[in-house]
Amino acid sequence: MCCSHSFEDKPLPGQKPEAFDITAVKGMKFFDPHVHMTSRTTDDYQAMADAGVVALIEPAFWLGQPRTGIDSFRDYYSSLVGWERFRSSQFGIKHYCTIGLNSREANNEALAEQVMEILPLFVYKDGVVGVGEIGFDDQTAAEEKYYRLQLDLAKEAGLPVQVHTPHRDKKHGTQRSMDIALEHCLDPYTVIIDHNNEETVKEVLDRGFWAAFTIYPFTKMGNQRMVEVVKQYGSERIMINSAADWGISDPLAVPKTAALMKLNGISAEDIELVTYRNAITAFAQSGQIDEADFGVNIDQSAKFEGNSILRGGQQPRVDKSSIIIS
Amino acid sequence: MFGYDTEALRNLLATIIQNNIKPDAWAWLSNQGDITNTATFNAAFAMMPRKTGKAVITITPEQAQELNTIRPGFTIEDWTADRLGRVYLLSQANATDKERYFAVIENLFLAAEMNELVALYSALPVLAYADQWVKRCAEGIRSNIGSVLEAIMYHNPYPAENLSEAAWNQLVMKAIFTDKQLTLITGLNERNNPELARILMDFARERGAAGRSVVPELWHLASPFTDAGIVNAVKQQYTTI
Ligand SMILES: [Zn+2]
Repeated sequence: MCCSHSFEDKPLPGQKPEAFDITAVKGMKFFDPHVHMTSRTTDDYQAMADAGVVALIEPAFWLGQPRTGIDSFRDYYSSLVGWERFRSSQFGIKHYCTIGLNSREANNEALAEQVMEILPLFVYKDGVVGVGEIGFDDQTAAEEKYYRLQLDLAKEAGLPVQVHTPHRDKKHGTQRSMDIALEHCLDPYTVIIDHNNEETVKEVLDRGFWAAFTIYPFTKMGNQRMVEVVKQYGSERIMINSAADWGISDPLAVPKTAALMKLNGISAEDIELVTYRNAITAFAQSGQIDEADFGVNIDQSAKFEGNSILRGGQQPRVDKSSIIIS
Repeated sequence: MFGYDTEALRNLLATIIQNNIKPDAWAWLSNQGDITNTATFNAAFAMMPRKTGKAVITITPEQAQELNTIRPGFTIEDWTADRLGRVYLLSQANATDKERYFAVIENLFLAAEMNELVALYSALPVLAYADQWVKRCAEGIRSNIGSVLEAIMYHNPYPAENLSEAAWNQLVMKAIFTDKQLTLITGLNERNNPELARILMDFARERGAAGRSVVPELWHLASPFTDAGIVNAVKQQYTTI
Protein backbone atom coordinates (compact mmCIF):
# COMPACT_ATOMS: atom_id res chain seq x y z
CA MET A 1 0.00 0.00 0.00
CA CYS A 2 1.86 2.43 -0.27
CA CYS A 3 2.82 4.89 2.22
CA SER A 4 5.81 7.01 1.50
CA HIS A 5 6.17 8.68 4.84
CA SER A 6 9.59 8.81 6.38
CA PHE A 7 10.02 7.00 9.63
CA GLU A 8 12.95 8.97 11.04
CA ASP A 9 10.85 11.54 12.83
CA LYS A 10 8.36 9.07 14.28
CA PRO A 11 8.79 8.36 17.97
CA LEU A 12 9.40 4.74 18.80
CA PRO A 13 6.91 3.24 21.25
CA GLY A 14 7.86 4.25 24.75
CA GLN A 15 7.90 0.90 26.45
CA LYS A 16 8.74 -2.58 25.37
CA PRO A 17 5.61 -4.08 23.82
CA GLU A 18 4.05 -7.29 25.01
CA ALA A 19 5.35 -10.32 23.12
CA PHE A 20 3.07 -11.91 20.53
CA ASP A 21 2.03 -15.26 21.93
CA ILE A 22 1.07 -17.35 18.97
CA THR A 23 -0.73 -19.89 21.15
CA ALA A 24 -3.47 -17.30 21.75
CA VAL A 25 -4.65 -17.84 18.16
CA LYS A 26 -3.68 -21.48 17.80
CA GLY A 27 -6.06 -23.38 15.53
CA MET A 28 -7.56 -20.19 14.05
CA LYS A 29 -7.51 -19.52 10.32
CA PHE A 30 -6.80 -16.09 8.86
CA PHE A 31 -7.30 -14.40 5.50
CA ASP A 32 -5.20 -11.28 4.86
CA PRO A 33 -7.03 -9.45 2.04
CA HIS A 34 -4.29 -6.87 1.43
CA VAL A 35 -0.60 -7.73 1.56
CA HIS A 36 2.21 -7.08 -0.94
CA MET A 37 4.13 -10.34 -0.76
CA THR A 38 6.37 -9.42 -3.69
CA SER A 39 8.21 -7.22 -1.20
CA ARG A 40 8.45 -9.86 1.52
CA THR A 41 10.82 -12.72 2.25
CA THR A 42 10.24 -16.46 2.56
CA ASP A 43 10.65 -16.01 6.33
CA ASP A 44 7.50 -13.89 6.25
CA TYR A 45 5.62 -16.56 4.33
CA GLN A 46 6.71 -19.16 6.85
CA ALA A 47 5.74 -16.97 9.80
CA MET A 48 2.34 -16.23 8.27
CA ALA A 49 1.68 -19.92 7.62
CA ASP A 50 2.73 -20.75 11.18
CA ALA A 51 0.38 -18.09 12.55
CA GLY A 52 -2.58 -19.53 10.65
CA VAL A 53 -2.79 -17.36 7.53
CA VAL A 54 -4.27 -19.75 4.93
CA ALA A 55 -4.98 -17.32 2.09
CA LEU A 56 -4.24 -13.76 1.08
CA ILE A 57 -4.88 -11.13 -1.56
CA GLU A 58 -2.03 -9.17 -3.13
CA PRO A 59 -3.35 -5.95 -4.66
CA ALA A 60 -1.45 -4.49 -7.60
CA PHE A 61 0.23 -1.26 -6.53
CA TRP A 62 3.30 0.84 -7.23
CA LEU A 63 6.81 -0.31 -6.47
CA GLY A 64 7.99 2.58 -4.33
CA GLN A 65 9.20 4.39 -7.41
CA PRO A 66 7.39 5.00 -10.68
CA ARG A 67 7.66 2.59 -13.60
CA THR A 68 8.82 4.09 -16.88
CA GLY A 69 7.51 1.60 -19.41
CA ILE A 70 4.56 -0.65 -20.14
CA ASP A 71 6.61 -3.85 -20.03
CA SER A 72 7.38 -3.22 -16.35
CA PHE A 73 3.64 -3.19 -15.69
CA ARG A 74 3.07 -6.33 -17.70
CA ASP A 75 5.87 -8.20 -15.97
CA TYR A 76 4.57 -7.05 -12.58
CA TYR A 77 1.01 -8.20 -13.26
CA SER A 78 2.20 -11.49 -14.65
CA SER A 79 4.40 -12.04 -11.59
CA LEU A 80 1.33 -11.56 -9.36
CA VAL A 81 -0.48 -14.40 -11.11
CA GLY A 82 2.66 -16.43 -11.76
CA TRP A 83 5.81 -16.49 -9.71
CA GLU A 84 4.38 -14.92 -6.54
CA ARG A 85 1.45 -17.32 -6.58
CA PHE A 86 3.90 -20.19 -6.79
CA ARG A 87 6.10 -18.82 -4.03
CA SER A 88 3.08 -18.58 -1.76
CA SER A 89 1.90 -22.10 -2.59
CA GLN A 90 5.22 -23.45 -1.33
CA PHE A 91 4.10 -22.45 2.15
CA GLY A 92 0.57 -23.74 1.79
CA ILE A 93 -0.88 -20.23 1.49
CA LYS A 94 -3.44 -19.66 -1.27
CA HIS A 95 -2.50 -16.51 -3.17
CA TYR A 96 -5.08 -14.32 -4.90
CA CYS A 97 -4.59 -10.87 -6.35
CA THR A 98 -6.41 -7.81 -7.54
CA ILE A 99 -5.27 -6.14 -10.74
CA GLY A 100 -5.38 -2.43 -11.45
CA LEU A 101 -3.56 0.80 -12.15
CA ASN A 102 -2.68 2.47 -8.84
CA SER A 103 -3.52 6.10 -8.27
CA ARG A 104 0.03 7.43 -8.15
CA GLU A 105 0.99 6.09 -11.54
CA ALA A 106 -2.33 7.16 -13.03
CA ASN A 107 -0.72 10.59 -13.10
CA ASN A 108 1.59 9.53 -15.94
CA GLU A 109 -1.17 9.70 -18.53
CA ALA A 110 0.85 8.51 -21.52
CA LEU A 111 1.78 5.34 -19.68
CA ALA A 112 -1.63 5.01 -18.01
CA GLU A 113 -3.27 4.78 -21.42
CA GLN A 114 -1.07 1.81 -22.31
CA VAL A 115 -1.75 0.16 -18.95
CA MET A 116 -5.51 0.44 -19.53
CA GLU A 117 -5.01 -1.45 -22.78
CA ILE A 118 -3.36 -4.47 -21.14
CA LEU A 119 -5.58 -4.67 -18.04
CA PRO A 120 -8.26 -6.78 -19.82
CA LEU A 121 -5.57 -9.38 -20.49
CA PHE A 122 -5.22 -9.86 -16.72
CA VAL A 123 -8.56 -9.21 -15.04
CA TYR A 124 -10.15 -12.39 -16.40
CA LYS A 125 -7.37 -14.62 -15.17
CA ASP A 126 -7.92 -17.37 -12.66
CA GLY A 127 -7.47 -16.17 -9.08
CA VAL A 128 -7.95 -12.48 -9.89
CA VAL A 129 -10.57 -11.55 -7.30
CA GLY A 130 -11.02 -7.87 -8.02
CA VAL A 131 -9.88 -4.66 -9.62
CA GLY A 132 -7.50 -2.94 -7.21
CA GLU A 133 -6.00 -1.18 -5.53
CA ILE A 134 -7.37 1.84 -7.32
CA GLY A 135 -8.65 5.24 -6.21
CA PHE A 136 -7.16 8.53 -5.12
CA ASP A 137 -3.77 9.66 -3.89
CA ASP A 138 -3.26 13.36 -4.71
CA GLN A 139 -6.87 13.51 -5.93
CA THR A 140 -5.89 14.86 -9.35
CA ALA A 141 -8.02 14.90 -12.49
CA ALA A 142 -5.92 12.10 -14.00
CA GLU A 143 -6.46 9.94 -10.93
CA GLU A 144 -10.19 10.47 -11.20
CA LYS A 145 -10.19 9.62 -14.91
CA TYR A 146 -8.49 6.25 -14.46
CA TYR A 147 -10.45 5.46 -11.32
CA ARG A 148 -13.66 5.88 -13.31
CA LEU A 149 -12.41 3.84 -16.27
CA GLN A 150 -11.40 1.01 -13.96
CA LEU A 151 -14.76 1.04 -12.17
CA ASP A 152 -16.32 0.40 -15.57
CA LEU A 153 -13.82 -2.39 -16.23
CA ALA A 154 -14.72 -4.02 -12.90
CA LYS A 155 -18.39 -3.81 -13.73
CA GLU A 156 -17.86 -5.37 -17.12
CA ALA A 157 -15.71 -8.17 -15.71
CA GLY A 158 -18.10 -8.79 -12.80
CA LEU A 159 -15.36 -8.19 -10.23
CA PRO A 160 -15.35 -6.49 -6.82
CA VAL A 161 -13.33 -3.27 -6.43
CA GLN A 162 -10.61 -2.68 -3.84
CA VAL A 163 -10.38 1.05 -3.23
CA HIS A 164 -7.25 2.69 -1.85
CA THR A 165 -8.14 5.85 0.05
CA PRO A 166 -5.67 8.75 0.27
CA HIS A 167 -3.48 9.65 3.23
CA ARG A 168 -3.90 13.37 2.71
CA ASP A 169 -7.37 14.89 2.87
CA LYS A 170 -8.53 11.39 3.72
CA LYS A 171 -12.11 11.94 4.76
CA HIS A 172 -13.01 13.97 1.71
CA GLY A 173 -11.13 11.58 -0.60
CA THR A 174 -13.01 8.62 0.86
CA GLN A 175 -16.38 10.31 0.38
CA ARG A 176 -15.48 11.19 -3.20
CA SER A 177 -14.38 7.60 -3.92
CA MET A 178 -17.78 6.33 -2.77
CA ASP A 179 -19.74 9.03 -4.62
CA ILE A 180 -18.04 8.14 -7.88
CA ALA A 181 -18.51 4.39 -7.41
CA LEU A 182 -22.25 4.97 -6.94
CA GLU A 183 -22.31 7.29 -9.95
CA HIS A 184 -20.99 4.36 -12.01
CA CYS A 185 -23.85 2.23 -10.67
CA LEU A 186 -21.69 -0.15 -8.69
CA ASP A 187 -23.42 -2.05 -5.91
CA PRO A 188 -21.67 -0.84 -2.72
CA TYR A 189 -21.71 -4.45 -1.55
CA THR A 190 -19.10 -5.18 -4.28
CA VAL A 191 -16.81 -2.31 -3.25
CA ILE A 192 -14.22 -2.61 -0.48
CA ILE A 193 -13.12 0.78 0.84
CA ASP A 194 -9.64 0.31 2.28
CA HIS A 195 -7.45 2.08 4.86
CA ASN A 196 -10.33 3.33 6.98
CA ASN A 197 -9.96 5.00 10.34
CA GLU A 198 -12.27 6.16 13.15
CA GLU A 199 -13.23 9.20 11.09
CA THR A 200 -14.30 7.43 7.93
CA VAL A 201 -15.79 4.12 9.04
CA LYS A 202 -19.29 5.25 9.95
CA GLU A 203 -20.17 6.74 6.60
CA VAL A 204 -18.62 3.83 4.70
CA LEU A 205 -20.76 1.32 6.59
CA ASP A 206 -23.88 3.50 6.52
CA ARG A 207 -23.69 3.72 2.74
CA GLY A 208 -23.48 -0.07 2.39
CA PHE A 209 -19.80 -0.46 1.45
CA TRP A 210 -17.30 -2.87 3.01
CA ALA A 211 -14.87 -1.17 5.39
CA ALA A 212 -11.32 -2.50 5.45
CA PHE A 213 -8.79 -1.41 8.07
CA THR A 214 -5.06 -1.54 7.60
CA ILE A 215 -3.03 -2.34 10.69
CA TYR A 216 0.22 -0.61 9.84
CA PRO A 217 2.63 0.97 12.30
CA PHE A 218 2.96 4.75 12.63
CA THR A 219 0.92 5.84 9.61
CA LYS A 220 -2.33 3.89 9.78
CA MET A 221 -4.33 1.98 12.35
CA GLY A 222 -2.69 0.54 15.44
CA ASN A 223 -4.41 -2.62 16.54
CA GLN A 224 -5.43 -1.32 19.96
CA ARG A 225 -7.51 1.30 18.15
CA MET A 226 -8.85 -1.49 15.95
CA VAL A 227 -10.13 -3.35 18.98
CA GLU A 228 -12.10 -0.24 19.96
CA VAL A 229 -13.53 0.09 16.44
CA VAL A 230 -14.89 -3.47 16.56
CA LYS A 231 -16.27 -2.86 20.04
CA GLN A 232 -18.13 0.17 18.71
CA TYR A 233 -19.20 -0.93 15.22
CA GLY A 234 -19.36 -4.71 15.54
CA SER A 235 -18.20 -7.05 12.82
CA GLU A 236 -20.63 -6.57 9.95
CA ARG A 237 -18.85 -5.65 6.67
CA ILE A 238 -15.60 -4.91 8.54
CA MET A 239 -12.30 -6.60 7.70
CA ILE A 240 -8.69 -6.03 8.66
CA ASN A 241 -5.47 -6.40 6.68
CA SER A 242 -1.74 -5.83 7.10
CA ALA A 243 -1.01 -4.02 3.81
CA ALA A 244 2.55 -5.18 4.54
CA ASP A 245 4.89 -4.02 1.80
CA TRP A 246 8.42 -2.66 1.40
CA GLY A 247 7.92 -0.19 4.24
CA ILE A 248 8.19 -0.94 7.95
CA SER A 249 5.10 -3.08 8.27
CA ASP A 250 3.98 -6.36 9.77
CA PRO A 251 2.79 -9.39 7.78
CA LEU A 252 1.44 -10.86 11.03
CA ALA A 253 -0.84 -7.88 11.66
CA VAL A 254 -4.01 -9.95 11.15
CA PRO A 255 -3.22 -12.83 13.55
CA LYS A 256 -1.73 -10.37 16.07
CA THR A 257 -4.85 -8.25 16.03
CA ALA A 258 -6.97 -11.38 16.43
CA ALA A 259 -4.93 -12.25 19.51
CA LEU A 260 -5.37 -8.75 20.90
CA MET A 261 -9.12 -8.89 20.29
CA LYS A 262 -9.30 -12.18 22.10
CA LEU A 263 -7.43 -10.74 25.09
CA ASN A 264 -9.89 -7.84 25.08
CA GLY A 265 -12.94 -10.04 25.23
CA ILE A 266 -14.21 -9.74 21.66
CA SER A 267 -16.24 -12.83 20.76
CA ALA A 268 -14.69 -15.63 18.72
CA GLU A 269 -17.45 -15.15 16.17
CA ASP A 270 -16.67 -11.46 15.65
CA ILE A 271 -12.94 -12.16 15.44
CA GLU A 272 -13.55 -14.79 12.77
CA LEU A 273 -15.69 -12.38 10.76
CA VAL A 274 -13.20 -9.51 10.70
CA THR A 275 -10.04 -11.60 10.25
CA TYR A 276 -11.32 -14.27 7.87
CA ARG A 277 -14.94 -14.65 6.81
CA ASN A 278 -15.91 -11.12 5.72
CA ALA A 279 -12.99 -10.80 3.31
CA ILE A 280 -13.96 -14.09 1.72
CA THR A 281 -17.62 -13.09 1.44
CA ALA A 282 -16.69 -9.78 -0.19
CA PHE A 283 -14.09 -11.02 -2.66
CA ALA A 284 -15.77 -14.36 -3.43
CA GLN A 285 -18.28 -12.28 -5.40
CA SER A 286 -15.63 -12.63 -8.12
CA GLY A 287 -16.47 -16.34 -8.34
CA GLN A 288 -12.75 -16.97 -7.92
CA ILE A 289 -12.44 -18.06 -4.29
CA ASP A 290 -12.93 -21.66 -3.21
CA GLU A 291 -12.16 -22.37 0.44
CA ALA A 292 -11.39 -25.98 -0.49
CA ASP A 293 -8.20 -24.62 -2.10
CA PHE A 294 -6.90 -23.12 1.15
CA GLY A 295 -3.91 -24.58 2.90
CA VAL A 296 -3.92 -27.74 0.82
CA ASN A 297 -0.17 -28.18 1.19
CA ILE A 298 0.10 -27.37 4.87
CA ASP A 299 -0.30 -30.91 6.15
CA GLN A 300 2.39 -32.13 3.83
CA SER A 301 5.12 -30.05 5.40
CA ALA A 302 5.80 -32.54 8.14
CA LYS A 303 6.80 -35.34 5.84
CA PHE A 304 9.37 -33.21 4.06
CA GLU A 305 11.33 -32.41 7.17
CA GLY A 306 14.81 -33.84 6.99
CA ASN A 307 13.98 -35.27 3.60
CA SER A 308 15.38 -34.05 0.30
CA ILE A 309 12.46 -35.33 -1.77
CA LEU A 310 10.16 -32.46 -2.75
CA ARG A 311 6.79 -32.81 -4.36
CA GLY A 312 4.38 -30.23 -5.73
CA GLY A 313 6.90 -27.50 -5.07
CA GLN A 314 6.59 -27.75 -1.29
CA GLN A 315 9.59 -26.16 0.37
CA PRO A 316 11.56 -28.11 2.95
CA ARG A 317 11.61 -26.37 6.26
CA VAL A 318 14.79 -24.69 7.33
CA ASP A 319 15.66 -24.97 11.00
CA LYS A 320 16.35 -21.35 11.87
CA SER A 321 17.58 -22.18 15.33
CA SER A 322 20.42 -24.27 14.01
CA ILE A 323 23.88 -22.84 13.27
CA ILE A 324 24.27 -25.58 10.64
CA ILE A 325 23.12 -24.75 7.10
CA SER A 326 22.84 -27.92 5.06
CA MET B 1 3.14 -26.23 -40.97
CA PHE B 2 1.89 -29.17 -38.90
CA GLY B 3 3.61 -32.54 -38.72
CA TYR B 4 0.38 -34.47 -38.13
CA ASP B 5 -3.28 -34.68 -39.19
CA THR B 6 -4.68 -31.55 -37.53
CA GLU B 7 -8.28 -32.21 -38.54
CA ALA B 8 -8.24 -35.66 -36.93
CA LEU B 9 -6.74 -34.23 -33.74
CA ARG B 10 -9.31 -31.45 -33.49
CA ASN B 11 -12.16 -33.89 -33.98
CA LEU B 12 -10.87 -36.30 -31.37
CA LEU B 13 -10.18 -33.55 -28.82
CA ALA B 14 -13.66 -32.15 -29.50
CA THR B 15 -15.23 -35.53 -28.73
CA ILE B 16 -13.25 -35.94 -25.52
CA ILE B 17 -14.03 -32.41 -24.31
CA GLN B 18 -17.74 -32.81 -25.00
CA ASN B 19 -17.72 -35.89 -22.78
CA ASN B 20 -16.08 -33.93 -19.98
CA ILE B 21 -17.73 -30.51 -19.79
CA LYS B 22 -21.29 -29.19 -19.58
CA PRO B 23 -23.22 -28.63 -22.84
CA ASP B 24 -23.33 -24.85 -22.40
CA ALA B 25 -19.56 -24.75 -21.84
CA TRP B 26 -19.08 -26.72 -25.04
CA ALA B 27 -21.48 -24.44 -26.91
CA TRP B 28 -19.27 -21.53 -25.87
CA LEU B 29 -15.91 -23.23 -26.52
CA SER B 30 -16.84 -24.53 -29.95
CA ASN B 31 -17.35 -20.94 -31.07
CA GLN B 32 -13.91 -19.74 -29.92
CA GLY B 33 -10.53 -19.87 -31.61
CA ASP B 34 -10.53 -16.96 -34.07
CA ILE B 35 -7.07 -15.43 -33.70
CA THR B 36 -7.88 -12.51 -35.97
CA ASN B 37 -9.82 -11.15 -32.97
CA THR B 38 -6.98 -11.09 -30.45
CA ALA B 39 -8.90 -9.61 -27.53
CA THR B 40 -11.61 -12.27 -27.72
CA PHE B 41 -9.08 -15.04 -28.22
CA ASN B 42 -7.06 -13.87 -25.19
CA ALA B 43 -10.16 -13.54 -23.04
CA ALA B 44 -11.36 -17.04 -24.02
CA PHE B 45 -7.95 -18.44 -23.11
CA ALA B 46 -7.92 -16.67 -19.72
CA MET B 47 -11.49 -17.46 -18.67
CA MET B 48 -11.37 -21.15 -19.65
CA PRO B 49 -11.67 -22.53 -16.06
CA ARG B 50 -14.80 -20.39 -15.48
CA LYS B 51 -16.44 -22.15 -18.41
CA THR B 52 -15.06 -25.69 -18.29
CA GLY B 53 -14.39 -26.15 -14.59
CA LYS B 54 -11.20 -27.78 -13.36
CA ALA B 55 -12.22 -31.39 -12.90
CA VAL B 56 -9.82 -34.09 -14.06
CA ILE B 57 -11.02 -35.46 -17.39
CA THR B 58 -11.77 -39.07 -18.19
CA ILE B 59 -10.59 -40.59 -21.43
CA THR B 60 -11.09 -44.14 -22.73
CA PRO B 61 -8.11 -46.39 -23.52
CA GLU B 62 -9.27 -46.38 -27.16
CA GLN B 63 -9.20 -42.58 -27.26
CA ALA B 64 -5.74 -42.51 -25.71
CA GLN B 65 -4.61 -45.01 -28.32
CA GLU B 66 -6.13 -42.99 -31.16
CA LEU B 67 -4.47 -39.82 -29.85
CA ASN B 68 -1.11 -41.54 -29.87
CA THR B 69 -1.70 -42.66 -33.46
CA ILE B 70 -2.58 -39.15 -34.64
CA ARG B 71 0.21 -37.40 -32.74
CA PRO B 72 2.75 -39.95 -31.44
CA GLY B 73 3.82 -39.32 -27.85
CA PHE B 74 1.07 -36.77 -27.17
CA THR B 75 -1.03 -37.65 -24.14
CA ILE B 76 -3.72 -35.83 -22.15
CA GLU B 77 -4.29 -38.34 -19.39
CA ASP B 78 -4.88 -36.82 -15.92
CA TRP B 79 -5.31 -33.38 -17.44
CA THR B 80 -7.91 -31.01 -16.01
CA ALA B 81 -10.77 -29.80 -18.20
CA ASP B 82 -9.42 -26.23 -18.36
CA ARG B 83 -6.00 -27.45 -19.49
CA LEU B 84 -7.55 -29.51 -22.26
CA GLY B 85 -9.90 -26.68 -23.18
CA ARG B 86 -6.98 -24.30 -23.58
CA VAL B 87 -4.99 -26.72 -25.71
CA TYR B 88 -8.11 -27.32 -27.81
CA LEU B 89 -8.52 -23.56 -28.23
CA LEU B 90 -4.92 -23.27 -29.43
CA SER B 91 -5.47 -26.16 -31.85
CA GLN B 92 -8.35 -24.16 -33.37
CA ALA B 93 -6.13 -21.17 -34.14
CA ASN B 94 -5.66 -20.62 -37.85
CA ALA B 95 -1.94 -20.89 -38.62
CA THR B 96 -1.94 -19.60 -42.21
CA ASP B 97 -0.65 -16.19 -41.20
CA LYS B 98 2.57 -17.39 -39.59
CA GLU B 99 3.57 -14.04 -38.09
CA ARG B 100 0.22 -13.40 -36.44
CA TYR B 101 -0.07 -16.99 -35.24
CA PHE B 102 3.30 -16.80 -33.55
CA ALA B 103 2.74 -13.31 -32.12
CA VAL B 104 -0.67 -14.13 -30.60
CA ILE B 105 0.49 -17.33 -28.93
CA GLU B 106 3.82 -15.89 -27.78
CA ASN B 107 1.88 -13.04 -26.20
CA LEU B 108 -0.14 -15.55 -24.18
CA PHE B 109 3.11 -16.91 -22.75
CA LEU B 110 4.22 -13.41 -21.74
CA ALA B 111 1.10 -12.67 -19.70
CA ALA B 112 0.37 -16.18 -18.42
CA GLU B 113 -0.49 -17.27 -14.90
CA MET B 114 0.67 -20.65 -13.60
CA ASN B 115 -2.09 -22.88 -14.98
CA GLU B 116 -2.02 -21.05 -18.28
CA LEU B 117 1.70 -21.72 -18.56
CA VAL B 118 1.06 -25.40 -17.91
CA ALA B 119 -1.48 -25.50 -20.74
CA LEU B 120 0.72 -23.51 -23.11
CA TYR B 121 3.77 -25.73 -22.66
CA SER B 122 1.54 -28.82 -22.88
CA ALA B 123 0.41 -27.57 -26.29
CA LEU B 124 3.89 -27.36 -27.81
CA PRO B 125 3.63 -30.80 -29.52
CA VAL B 126 0.46 -29.79 -31.38
CA LEU B 127 1.34 -26.21 -32.35
CA ALA B 128 2.18 -25.30 -35.94
CA TYR B 129 5.76 -24.44 -36.95
CA ALA B 130 7.40 -26.75 -34.40
CA ASP B 131 10.88 -25.26 -34.92
CA GLN B 132 9.59 -21.78 -33.97
CA TRP B 133 8.99 -22.79 -30.34
CA VAL B 134 12.45 -24.12 -29.49
CA LYS B 135 13.56 -20.93 -27.72
CA ARG B 136 10.26 -20.71 -25.87
CA CYS B 137 10.64 -24.31 -24.69
CA ALA B 138 14.20 -23.67 -23.48
CA GLU B 139 12.89 -20.59 -21.67
CA GLY B 140 10.25 -22.73 -19.96
CA ILE B 141 12.95 -25.06 -18.67
CA ARG B 142 14.51 -22.05 -16.92
CA SER B 143 11.28 -21.68 -14.91
CA ASN B 144 11.35 -22.55 -11.24
CA ILE B 145 7.65 -23.31 -11.04
CA GLY B 146 7.27 -27.05 -10.45
CA SER B 147 4.05 -27.59 -12.40
CA VAL B 148 5.40 -25.70 -15.41
CA LEU B 149 8.52 -27.81 -15.48
CA GLU B 150 6.44 -30.96 -15.25
CA ALA B 151 4.29 -29.84 -18.19
CA ILE B 152 7.43 -29.60 -20.31
CA MET B 153 9.22 -32.64 -18.97
CA TYR B 154 6.56 -35.27 -18.33
CA HIS B 155 4.92 -37.14 -21.22
CA ASN B 156 5.68 -34.28 -23.59
CA PRO B 157 7.25 -35.34 -26.90
CA TYR B 158 8.19 -31.80 -28.00
CA PRO B 159 11.54 -31.35 -26.19
CA ALA B 160 13.04 -34.66 -27.35
CA GLU B 161 11.94 -33.99 -30.92
CA ASN B 162 13.10 -30.38 -31.16
CA LEU B 163 15.67 -29.27 -28.59
CA SER B 164 19.36 -28.99 -29.39
CA GLU B 165 21.68 -31.28 -27.46
CA ALA B 166 22.74 -28.47 -25.13
CA ALA B 167 19.14 -27.51 -24.36
CA TRP B 168 18.17 -31.14 -23.88
CA ASN B 169 21.00 -31.65 -21.42
CA GLN B 170 19.80 -28.59 -19.49
CA LEU B 171 16.35 -30.15 -19.32
CA VAL B 172 17.71 -33.36 -17.83
CA MET B 173 19.92 -31.53 -15.34
CA LYS B 174 17.08 -29.20 -14.34
CA ALA B 175 14.87 -32.24 -13.80
CA ILE B 176 17.50 -33.73 -11.49
CA PHE B 177 18.01 -30.46 -9.62
CA THR B 178 14.28 -30.04 -9.05
CA ASP B 179 13.71 -33.67 -8.02
CA LYS B 180 11.53 -34.59 -10.98
CA GLN B 181 10.87 -38.22 -11.89
CA LEU B 182 13.28 -38.87 -14.74
CA THR B 183 11.40 -41.95 -15.93
CA LEU B 184 8.45 -39.74 -17.00
CA ILE B 185 10.60 -37.72 -19.43
CA THR B 186 9.74 -38.61 -23.02
CA GLY B 187 12.88 -39.54 -25.01
CA LEU B 188 15.20 -39.82 -22.00
CA ASN B 189 17.10 -42.81 -23.42
CA GLU B 190 16.83 -41.82 -27.08
CA ARG B 191 18.41 -38.41 -26.47
CA ASN B 192 21.09 -39.66 -24.06
CA ASN B 193 24.55 -38.49 -25.18
CA PRO B 194 28.24 -38.45 -24.16
CA GLU B 195 28.20 -34.78 -23.16
CA LEU B 196 25.27 -35.40 -20.81
CA ALA B 197 27.14 -38.36 -19.33
CA ARG B 198 30.15 -36.12 -18.66
CA ILE B 199 27.97 -33.48 -16.97
CA LEU B 200 26.25 -36.16 -14.89
CA MET B 201 29.53 -37.68 -13.72
CA ASP B 202 30.90 -34.26 -12.73
CA PHE B 203 27.67 -33.65 -10.88
CA ALA B 204 27.95 -37.02 -9.13
CA ARG B 205 31.47 -36.14 -7.92
CA GLU B 206 30.30 -32.74 -6.70
CA ARG B 207 27.40 -34.27 -4.79
CA GLY B 208 29.66 -36.92 -3.33
CA ALA B 209 32.10 -34.26 -2.12
CA ALA B 210 29.21 -32.42 -0.45
CA GLY B 211 28.04 -35.56 1.29
CA ARG B 212 24.79 -35.59 -0.65
CA SER B 213 23.14 -38.36 -2.64
CA VAL B 214 22.19 -38.71 -6.33
CA VAL B 215 19.23 -40.39 -8.02
CA PRO B 216 19.93 -43.96 -9.23
CA GLU B 217 18.89 -43.06 -12.82
CA LEU B 218 22.03 -40.94 -13.03
CA TRP B 219 24.22 -44.05 -13.24
CA HIS B 220 21.92 -45.54 -15.82
CA LEU B 221 22.33 -42.49 -18.08
CA ALA B 222 26.06 -42.05 -17.53
CA SER B 223 27.08 -45.69 -17.91
CA PRO B 224 26.73 -46.13 -21.70
CA PHE B 225 29.28 -43.36 -22.29
CA THR B 226 31.54 -43.75 -19.27
CA ASP B 227 34.26 -46.21 -18.40
CA ALA B 228 32.78 -48.77 -16.00
CA GLY B 229 35.79 -48.40 -13.70
CA ILE B 230 35.23 -44.66 -13.35
CA VAL B 231 31.53 -45.09 -12.63
CA ASN B 232 32.31 -47.61 -9.93
CA ALA B 233 35.00 -45.39 -8.41
CA VAL B 234 32.60 -42.45 -8.14
CA LYS B 235 29.87 -44.71 -6.83
CA GLN B 236 32.24 -45.68 -4.01
CA GLN B 237 31.89 -42.13 -2.65
CA TYR B 238 28.29 -42.92 -1.90
CA THR B 239 28.64 -46.21 -0.08
CA THR B 240 28.69 -44.56 3.31
CA ILE B 241 25.63 -42.40 2.69
ZN1 LIG C 1 -1.43 -1.60 -0.67
